Amino acid sequence: MFLAWSEIKKNKLRFLLITSILLLVSFLVFFLSGLANGLASMNREAIDTWKVDAVLLTEESDKSLYESALNKEVADELDAKETAVVSQMGAIANNGDTKQNVMLFGIDRDEFIKPEVSEGDPTFYVQNGVVASDVLKDEGFKIGDTLELSSSDTELTIVGFTEKARFNASPILYMKLNDMQKIKFGDAYTMNKDIVNAIVIKDKEWDALSLPDNTEIIETETFIENLPGYTEQNLTLTYMIYFLFVISAAIVAIFLYVLTVQKISMFGLMKAQGISSAYLARSVIAQTFILALIGVVLAFGLTLLAGSFLPNAVPIMFDIPTMIIYGLILIVVAILGAVISVWTIIRIDPLEAIGG
Amino acid sequence: MVLELRNAKKTFGEGNTLVEAMKETNFVVERGELVAVIGPSGSGKSTFLTVAGGLQTPSEGEVIINGKELSQLNEKQRSKIRLQEIGFILQASNLVPFLTVDEQLELLNKVKKDNMSKDEQRKLYEDLGITKLHKNYPSDLSGGERQRVAIAKALFSKPAILLADEPTASLDSDRAFEVMELLRNETKSNQTATIVVTHDVRLIKYVDKVYKMTDGVLRLESSAEADVTE
Repeated sequence: MFLAWSEIKKNKLRFLLITSILLLVSFLVFFLSGLANGLASMNREAIDTWKVDAVLLTEESDKSLYESALNKEVADELDAKETAVVSQMGAIANNGDTKQNVMLFGIDRDEFIKPEVSEGDPTFYVQNGVVASDVLKDEGFKIGDTLELSSSDTELTIVGFTEKARFNASPILYMKLNDMQKIKFGDAYTMNKDIVNAIVIKDKEWDALSLPDNTEIIETETFIENLPGYTEQNLTLTYMIYFLFVISAAIVAIFLYVLTVQKISMFGLMKAQGISSAYLARSVIAQTFILALIGVVLAFGLTLLAGSFLPNAVPIMFDIPTMIIYGLILIVVAILGAVISVWTIIRIDPLEAIGG
Repeated sequence: MVLELRNAKKTFGEGNTLVEAMKETNFVVERGELVAVIGPSGSGKSTFLTVAGGLQTPSEGEVIINGKELSQLNEKQRSKIRLQEIGFILQASNLVPFLTVDEQLELLNKVKKDNMSKDEQRKLYEDLGITKLHKNYPSDLSGGERQRVAIAKALFSKPAILLADEPTASLDSDRAFEVMELLRNETKSNQTATIVVTHDVRLIKYVDKVYKMTDGVLRLESSAEADVTE
């Protein structure tokens, strides 16, 4: 540590350069992880709030909520601890000023997925009243707004807002199941009023439930992964992050190797004097650790700072534990990058260094 | 005796390309003794120095430092012997470029015990005239100052054997004589066995024995005792 730190103090510029590169790479890793997290959250935050274990859909829907249609009586046949029915439809809502792509979720009053109202009337269950995702506030929607729907003459009224209510990147409007079914099926309401898209289940033992014909039960995580675009988006960002790990290892490896080669004769002289390879190798590792730690910690702070200046439209959401793990990985791969230098040091022949 | 070469020989290559860099050599140095090995370049002086210093093992014969036979040891163990028993003053400046004079010595404290105390170190600085330089980096020093720091560094670890390769090469005559005087004093006061490899014959008046290296053959040229009897 003594040797490592003394060298950094004496040659500030060159170590500043490598630290700044590590800082930028780390910044990008943290930023992408925030973006991945934010984008994932746009897709899944509503389901996460429900805390359900599994989702029941029709078999032929191939795990898609939109294509699934089943009778809500099915919920009673299931021997699950807790269930809730979900009827879904996409629409464009217009409050007179702004049009917004939304998702209507019709739910039953007494069931557990009923949203916690953060603002407005907590007993939202009124005729054609909706509790809207609070992201709509940023778009200019207010409590009391009357919403025209693209596919129906029925007008809805915003009676409240709720947090964390997006599904597959659309803000949700929660409403009374029956009102919703009238909008959804129009003239065919009477015939279809019991047809919902899915039944969500809170039961750790969901695997053991006996299922009605033509239905399929899937774990919540599988259900989310099958949301359109979700997995593709996530994998893209995850691969970028993994690639950045490789890049940072390579950068550190090249930089340290060049520094080490420059110092071969010095290391040789030190070895001639009996300073062990292990001590010199530890010094290089300690140096890498110091540089990586400084770079990662600064990047961490910078990322959080930059995140706080971004407009809400940027779907970035920092998950501190994930960032800490990524930070540790960055430090570890940087140290792996020092391995080539360590190997070089071990192979230096002290005899050559003194010209014997 | 602290260092002994017993029938030690160093050859490179084989067959037609065989080179005998150092022919069979017997050499002994005692504690408190200052000896010089003189000879023209290419005579095998450096080979002798590196074999005696445990940087390479002889092709044949034995090198015994403080009772330990070096050819029995691996590089790691020899490295430890070098650290514990030997102080090197090398022709190439053996200073670490990014350490101050104080830190050069401090580094040895990190890797080895039983070095000089703070007081001894202060006295060493005074003897060498480098007291004012203690916070300087090697790049701020003149060649002579650097050499004196290298000597301080070699002596700091209180070695049993001090091996100096052209220690006065970059010094003017006055400084060179001062350094030899100093090496002599340190040899006597610390009971170090000191070997100075040099081509500068003016220095031999400071040493107890002079060996001459010619074409890989080392032989005793003169000794102080012999001078006295003459």
